Amino acid sequence: MANQNATHGESHVAHHFVDSEQQLDSSKLGMWLFLVTEVLFFGGLFVAYIVYRAWNPELFYMSAKELSTTLGAINTVVLIGSSLTIALAVRAAQLNQRALLSRYLIVTILLACVFLVIKYFEYTSKFAVGILPGEFYTYEGIDHPGAPIFFSIYYMMTGLHGLHVIIGIGLMVYLVVKARAGTYTAAYYTPVEVTALYWHLVDLIWIFLFPLLYLIE
Amino acid sequence: MAAASKDLKIREFPVEENPTEHYLNAGKGLKSWLFTVDHKRIGLMYLASIILFFFVGGMLALALRIELWEPARTFMDADTYNRVFTLHGAIMVFLFIIPSIPAALGNFFLPMMLGAKDVAFPRLNLLSFWIYSIGALFTLYSIAYGGVDTGWTFYTPYSTSTGTAVISMTLGVFIMGFSSILTGINFIVTIHKMRAPGQTWGKLPLFLWSLYATSIIQVLATPNLAITFLLLILESTLGVGIFDPALGGDPVLYQHFFWFYSHPAVYIMIVPAFGIISEVISTFSKKTIFGYWLIALSSLAIAFIGFLVWGHHMFVSGQSELSTVIFSFLTFFVGIPTGIKILNWIATMYKGSIDLKTPMIYALMFLFLFSIGGFTGIMLGALSVNVHLHDTYYVVAHFHYVMMGGTVFAFLAGIHYWWPKMTGKMYNELWAKIASVILFIGFNVTFLPQFVMGSQGMPRRYYSYIEQFQTLHQTSTVGSWILGVGFIIVGIYLAISLFSKNNRASSNPWGARALEWMTTSPPAHHNFNHTPVVLHNPYDFHKPISEFRLGIDGSDGHHSSEDVSTPKEVGDKV
Amino acid sequence: MSGHHIISLKYLLGAATALVVLTIITVGASFIEIPRPFDLIVALSLAFGKATVVAAIFMGLIWDKKINTMALLFSLLFFIIMIGITLLDTLYRDVPFWIYS
Ligand code: HEM
Ligand SMILES: [Cu+2]
Repeated sequence: MANQNATHGESHVAHHFVDSEQQLDSSKLGMWLFLVTEVLFFGGLFVAYIVYRAWNPELFYMSAKELSTTLGAINTVVLIGSSLTIALAVRAAQLNQRALLSRYLIVTILLACVFLVIKYFEYTSKFAVGILPGEFYTYEGIDHPGAPIFFSIYYMMTGLHGLHVIIGIGLMVYLVVKARAGTYTAAYYTPVEVTALYWHLVDLIWIFLFPLLYLIE
Repeated sequence: MAAASKDLKIREFPVEENPTEHYLNAGKGLKSWLFTVDHKRIGLMYLASIILFFFVGGMLALALRIELWEPARTFMDADTYNRVFTLHGAIMVFLFIIPSIPAALGNFFLPMMLGAKDVAFPRLNLLSFWIYSIGALFTLYSIAYGGVDTGWTFYTPYSTSTGTAVISMTLGVFIMGFSSILTGINFIVTIHKMRAPGQTWGKLPLFLWSLYATSIIQVLATPNLAITFLLLILESTLGVGIFDPALGGDPVLYQHFFWFYSHPAVYIMIVPAFGIISEVISTFSKKTIFGYWLIALSSLAIAFIGFLVWGHHMFVSGQSELSTVIFSFLTFFVGIPTGIKILNWIATMYKGSIDLKTPMIYALMFLFLFSIGGFTGIMLGALSVNVHLHDTYYVVAHFHYVMMGGTVFAFLAGIHYWWPKMTGKMYNELWAKIASVILFIGFNVTFLPQFVMGSQGMPRRYYSYIEQFQTLHQTSTVGSWILGVGFIIVGIYLAISLFSKNNRASSNPWGARALEWMTTSPPAHHNFNHTPVVLHNPYDFHKPISEFRLGIDGSDGHHSSEDVSTPKEVGDKV
Repeated sequence: MSGHHIISLKYLLGAATALVVLTIITVGASFIEIPRPFDLIVALSLAFGKATVVAAIFMGLIWDKKINTMALLFSLLFFIIMIGITLLDTLYRDVPFWIYS
């Protein structure tokens, strides 16, 4: 809208809000509601997981042995670290430390990339032996007819999660550009805050994926 | 902030009639519409789109009814028939009825009823419209590609093995789901954060309570639809096998996934309709709504219970006996909050001064038709009865009584109620009444026989039938023509009203009390030229209308979080 | 106001440490032979513990408006409804209901 900022001294407050307080509160609630939809979106896959695990407990114990606990654990720590750095980024924005803000964001992006690289090596080593999703599955090391289903679930859950990581990286790159331009101040850092919320959720989901997929011994 | 309230001045803002500047002429040209962030314009664009799809879906329905004129083939073969009923169902459900009331009327009136200038996230609102349009394009593509023949439910394993355009169709619905989610999030945040000063939860118009409940369902249920269709798409492209018995999967699990969304979705369709009925009945009875909190909270109760009953669509699908019994038991509970609403509406009318204007006529028709739809739903929820009636025309009649007799009639009530506010023009009351009666007759002639056929065993989704049913089928087909005529009349007089000269509507033609009537018709670009202040319940018809037109003196239309003075203080200042 | 709470470094670093420790315990526990249902229960309890730390501190729910916490809890509730009722079917497929038998 053309006159978006016309009536305000505080230029970042959109015309239909009273003040930045109302704007930040609204954006946060909006983001939380979005996270609710994310939880339920992943929830569908968790339902599939639970139903099939309850049907074939053996299958899950046998198949999970193929996944590398070490890599999974490293990735867990990497994501925890990235959650910390983005929380620090929000703090930096609140304290008006602009240089620190973009530095923390960049570290977060790097950690996210580390996560993806590790995931990439995990995937390719699986592909190499014929562990592919669905009807492309050719691996013969697991003596259970349901093995393709386990790995389909594995690929869908981690794939969807990986997609969220990539989206998160995109959002953070945007934040870095904006932060460099000096958009975010102690008075206005809503995008940083809501992106951080999103990123923590990505971490949260991994916290559940890790024991459910990797740690069934 | 309490300190500021001392010098807060509140005064009455009388409404200017026949404004020269309003949201419709605030910008010109196609671009000013397609890229607007004004919730009113977005609402109208939604309105135009859903009317378009209602028309397309309606034509398909007429074709289906004509095919059923003869027991054997009339003019299309079985395969075409399958595609036509699938398209009819999918278009009506996903493109018309789900966005209908919330996205069109809700978008337009939600901020106005809150006294806000816009929804909380105007650009997200526009994005949601665009996402809807992109989803619709996918649907159109699927039609061009040869259609889909699975029924709107896309049951596996048929949907993953039929050669038709299931993937693009479900992808379209998947995309439209995001539009629905964004609208839901936007509405919830707006209702929480942008109410006018003084508008407590207890003074929220009931239409907004119903939109609030609807939005909660949209936010909680739609993600599940997304994941369902994602799984379906991966199933047909990668063969992941979750739903395919040939690969060790379970087709009944698909039905759980699907109905976990789609049963709550029927409340996405009907709960906003309840909201319109509450507004209309109170306004045209000139009486405070009976049982405000019961109506408000029963919407939330319906939203919640609606999540517990999805398995009543799966009684004969092979789910466990334990779950059939539990689902049947839980299904009956939906009837309680619904019944509460109906009783409260009737109690509202009791001893009111009822004014039988067109919106009220539609509301009364709604009460009648929706009650039939609801009661037959309860019948279907009874386990043993369902075994006989499942997949028959009885089910078809049931859901048309609730979806068309309920939602569409309430939608018509809403359109006629708010038409003068949206367009600034008044339609021809006589023709509107005539059309409503034609629609009512047409509707019952079409769908009452289907209850009879269904209970006698006529299965749904067949293009042929045994001769015994011919009279009933033909009656139903004739009814569909009457319905068609009714809708044509509605379209004509509404269009004429737009272009006539001497029918400018006043700002509050019905003498209603809610905030949207306290501004000009059509509304100003930013809805109000002051920050409205709310003192009374929107149904307090016994209080003078001047006390509903209050606003903060000297404000430029922005909200203020200052405390509102008591009526007594206001009395001094007004 | 609550919307602008600045989380102290002590909390942030404490949360991160707690998360890493809990991860180590989770991995460690998976190497111990715990009998069948309990291995899952242990793993999930630890995961819930970690999730609580992330939500409460990193996401700032402790200091935030209660409605945001409610939103998160609602998503959990509805997930539980979905899986709970679905399991009533999938786990009892071949069990005749007592009224019928
Ligand atoms: C009083 C509340 C209601 C109850 C107890 C109820 C119950 C049922 C039951 C048991 C069925 C399954 C019939 C079968 O396939 O065997 C059904 C089908 C259906 N209902 Fe309702 N219903 C209610 C309200 C509604 C409302 C308000 C709507 C929509 C606005 C609706 C839309 C539908 C649809 C679309 C179907 C058919 C789905 C399909 O198989 O294609 N119902 N209902
Ligand atoms: Cu249902």
